Amino acid sequence: MNAVQRFIRSKVLLLTAAILIAAMCLSVLVQSQSQAALNRTVDENSRGLYDVLVQAKAPSGALLQPEIANGTGGISFEQLDSIRKLSGTSVAAPISLVSRVTQNLESPRLDAMDYLGYNAGLAGTATADQAAGATAPDKWPAAESVLSDETKKYRLTASAVSSDGVSEQTLFKSTAEGSLGKAKLVEEKAAGGNSIRIAAPEGETGIKFPAPAGGSEHNLFNLSVSLPLAPEVTESVVAVDPAAERALLGSSGDFLAPLEKAPPADARDAGAIGRYFEGLFTNGIGLDQLEEGPDFLGVKLKYWAPLMTQYQQAKRTGQLTADSQAIPLIVRSGTSLDLKYNVKIEEIDDAGKVVKDVGTVSRSLDKDYLPFVSKDPFVLSWPGSTDHSSLLGSTGNFNQGLYTPATWSTDFAAAPKYTDGEAAANGAVEKTAVPGEWVTINRLPEKSANGTPVDQTQREPVDERSYRENLATGEQVAAPLAMVYGTFDPAAVAEAAGDVNKLPLGGYDPTPFTLVKDAEGKDVPATELEPSLSATGLASQSAGAITDYYGLAAARGYTDNADVIDAIRVRAKAPGSWKEAQPEVEELANEIRAMGLEATIVAGSAREDASIFVPGYSKDDAGKESALGTVQQSWVRQNAAEAVTGSLSGTNITLLFLTLCGAALLTGASTVSYIRKRRSEAGTLRAMGWTQRRIRSWVLEEFGVGAVLLAVAGIVLSLLSWSLATALVCVAVLVLYAGAALFAAQQLRHRDVIDQEPQHDERLIPVDSPLTFANRQLGTNKFNTLSLAVAVGVFGAAVGGLIALLIDIPRAAGASALSGLAAASVALPSILLALAGVVVGLVLTLVTGRFELNAKRQYLGILEAMGWNPDMLRQVRLFENALVGTVALPLGVLGALGIGLLLAPYAALWAGVAGLVAVLCWIPIATKVVQ
Amino acid sequence: MTNPTNVQRSRRGGSGEVPLQTRANTIVKEADHATPLELSDITIRYGGGKGGAEAVSVVEGFDLTLHAGEMHCVAGRSGSGKTSILTVGAGLTLPTSGRVFWEGDSLESMGDDEIADRRRALIGYVDQGGALIDGMSALENVLLPAVPDGEVDQRRDMAKDLLDLVGLGRRMRHRPAQLSGGERQRVAIARALILGTRVLVVDEPTASLDRASANRIISILKDTTSDGIAVLVASHDHELVRLSDSLTELI
Repeated sequence: MNAVQRFIRSKVLLLTAAILIAAMCLSVLVQSQSQAALNRTVDENSRGLYDVLVQAKAPSGALLQPEIANGTGGISFEQLDSIRKLSGTSVAAPISLVSRVTQNLESPRLDAMDYLGYNAGLAGTATADQAAGATAPDKWPAAESVLSDETKKYRLTASAVSSDGVSEQTLFKSTAEGSLGKAKLVEEKAAGGNSIRIAAPEGETGIKFPAPAGGSEHNLFNLSVSLPLAPEVTESVVAVDPAAERALLGSSGDFLAPLEKAPPADARDAGAIGRYFEGLFTNGIGLDQLEEGPDFLGVKLKYWAPLMTQYQQAKRTGQLTADSQAIPLIVRSGTSLDLKYNVKIEEIDDAGKVVKDVGTVSRSLDKDYLPFVSKDPFVLSWPGSTDHSSLLGSTGNFNQGLYTPATWSTDFAAAPKYTDGEAAANGAVEKTAVPGEWVTINRLPEKSANGTPVDQTQREPVDERSYRENLATGEQVAAPLAMVYGTFDPAAVAEAAGDVNKLPLGGYDPTPFTLVKDAEGKDVPATELEPSLSATGLASQSAGAITDYYGLAAARGYTDNADVIDAIRVRAKAPGSWKEAQPEVEELANEIRAMGLEATIVAGSAREDASIFVPGYSKDDAGKESALGTVQQSWVRQNAAEAVTGSLSGTNITLLFLTLCGAALLTGASTVSYIRKRRSEAGTLRAMGWTQRRIRSWVLEEFGVGAVLLAVAGIVLSLLSWSLATALVCVAVLVLYAGAALFAAQQLRHRDVIDQEPQHDERLIPVDSPLTFANRQLGTNKFNTLSLAVAVGVFGAAVGGLIALLIDIPRAAGASALSGLAAASVALPSILLALAGVVVGLVLTLVTGRFELNAKRQYLGILEAMGWNPDMLRQVRLFENALVGTVALPLGVLGALGIGLLLAPYAALWAGVAGLVAVLCWIPIATKVVQ
Repeated sequence: MTNPTNVQRSRRGGSGEVPLQTRANTIVKEADHATPLELSDITIRYGGGKGGAEAVSVVEGFDLTLHAGEMHCVAGRSGSGKTSILTVGAGLTLPTSGRVFWEGDSLESMGDDEIADRRRALIGYVDQGGALIDGMSALENVLLPAVPDGEVDQRRDMAKDLLDLVGLGRRMRHRPAQLSGGERQRVAIARALILGTRVLVVDEPTASLDRASANRIISILKDTTSDGIAVLVASHDHELVRLSDSLTELI
């Protein structure tokens, strides 16, 4: 029988070679697949739309807070030009906070259907000329009303409620009473013919809320009740360079195209523009032109009406001066501000007692809302009403929009200030928000639209926790007028721009806060905080409008070369992934730093959640402040790419090392098994006259066949993976195998009894039970017992490592967006490696378990023959395994703890518990298996 | 191939040769409660399982009635089924067919636990070569059968007496590895007798032993019969065959 035949016959050697080849394959899996996938994922996902963030002030540290533009400025336009001139710069896009703009929403009203039917005198020319969409006179339905012929007395209760998603606050509640009834058409003779008017029924008092609400009036289609003013809404306006911003965002920035066509600074005189639009009406304008928007210097201004009404109002109140400018804006469509307006309608008797609850109607700001534009955001409809006003078709009614010029302010809402807390066990960052000032909101304007005083008693001001910073310049600038050029969808921009909108100063969106613990520290269902009109300091919504830097100059009174740029987002010219572009990005950042600016490399960064405790969030009527609890917010971790790569590479290398350790143990066990099987054979050969040298060659030849297989596999794998690490692993495995061969050859030279006899009976525990019998057997075969215990310990440690990994992968996925992607890319190979470790542990227990299998079978047979019943034999096996498990327990637990500490320190305890459970589970399973 | 023929001879109460008897026909008999061991129409076959290998019939239609104080020898060439008959008689394996009675009770009606308990009380089994447990002294080996009943301490003196009886009084603290083959065999016999066994089943007790050692073992076995113990022994040792009360020769 030649060496190859002997090698094949020797299952142990075959098994050993197979295991070692498998270990080498795993190394290839780790190196060429897992590591490559990790690098690729990190590279591809750690370079956003810009590479360097330029600010005037130094960032606070490696973890950057997700501020939107903060209004602090500090960078001049000369510096912006210098950055653009750098050879490595592709795009340099500035961004600044222009202002906080407070506007009164148009007066809300309640429309009660009181449709009087067709009347030529009232329907006017709309139907006569068949205006677009108008209904022919004979098609008008019969009169219809929700009011009665006789007047009835009603009580209306108007209220506004705002919620941040956690708590709700009633901003005001106002009640008015009066009688209402169905109107009549009254035809009267007048000079030159008859006149037709709509008259209230006899005895109707109408309903009037305090000023500036204007009471109630009848018209052709409704009875309209003017309601109390809705609370003021504040929006932030940011400035960008439209051309650079479009270059940064790509096609998702197309919404800024109209802004590029805005007139230059010297052509934005608000008075001149207002007069231009007045002239359009004076000279006549077609309905089509009204709907599409009149042309203004090449741009169709769809939302010209709000500018017109505000222009007229400002002119009337004296706010409009020669310096007033129209500021071009792209406004946000929709709002996430929670503001709900409710009206409760009750029919009452003369004593004020409720006769009938007519119903409650309500309306919220929603996705149709447009800052600076929205008409009728709070028009409510009486229950049972039908809107017949569309019978007139389009009569040239235009969006009136806001009638009062908005108040532009430099009370900026900046992100909260934070103090660092302790880092959590899983590496999560703990911070505390530093409370700012209390500011009063929910106030009414001093004068109504027509200049009359406003009854201030109808509204209780509300204190709101604010993180505002007053950056007032001291110069009172002329009231600017909002000139809306278009809209943008924040969700679409955020989706298209990706992380650019979440990185510090990346875009127009603040990062939301999610409440995860209440003030007492108890977990609560994760709730994203909504912007609200109560306690809005922490949560604000996307910028309400975007303008250009001429707009910023007009609103804040700066000259066009002032240091008003908050930040510049710079994209390097270097193409490719983060790693490919890194040297050039770093060079560019250094050049910018040389200008005296702070240049933070954001390429290679990633978002991760920070836990923030928020104290002093609200206060009760007695003025006592209460904490909000703990919120989570996405911050930005600098150098996350390298950290993630390093961490997961470390995990891979640790797993690889552990797999090799397992392979080494298994090789050792297999070699011992081989030695035991071949010892008698070697003795026979010696008896036949073989020399020690020949026996040694005889052994080494068999091992040599395995070594050739391993060498071939190692060379093939190394060439395939073209990885030095794989080659090193293959060499290490080969050396390990060679060591095992020499050890085996050495052992077979001598006939040594491995099992040791107890030397001192008096020290031994007498055998009088299955337990003491098992103890004696294990004590007699110490080598076998320890081998098996080590194997079981390795198995427990491997299970612990697997559990640590299974805990670590979801944690890594949740730590940051980048680590999530990276963890997902290496999850499968990592788990396979860890599973391989468990399999190695199991095989090790089987191999070492066979060391004493024959002896065990023999003594179990003897015991059976002398009348030990099956239960007692089972007890012997159980106690043996329990004793082995007792020895293995510390090995398994400590090994699992150690592996856990290497792979995921915070999961080490769980790994230890898993190791403990695995060893404990092995005991009954092994008892069952070894019959 | 199967050897279907069993030849049985009987020589009760005398030392002279008795004629060979043809094997008894298979008869299902009423159990005799005074008879410690009875094998009735025993057939033992191996193989013929799922692998498709042909079943090998080792023993067919074997009958044996072993009375108290009688030594019955099963002789025959290697592979003729001697050990198989002994393991079936000791209840360690089940026959392919046929019945085994211990003191008149059929093993068929017993569960594993009952068989083990009855075996402990009735049968002393001595394996070929006198297999002992490594790591335990001769005395501890002898006391092992007393462990299940928790009588180790009570039987300690008896164990020492038995070791004295088999001539190993001075070697009771030695380990199996420190004993010769004959000594291990004698320890195994002592161990088989520790619980007051009524049937001693001994497999090839003199194989691989020198004549002197073999004679000593034979003498011990013969002595046990005088105490009323039935001995079923498998051997082809002529001396043992000669001294046994009855003989089954397997062909």
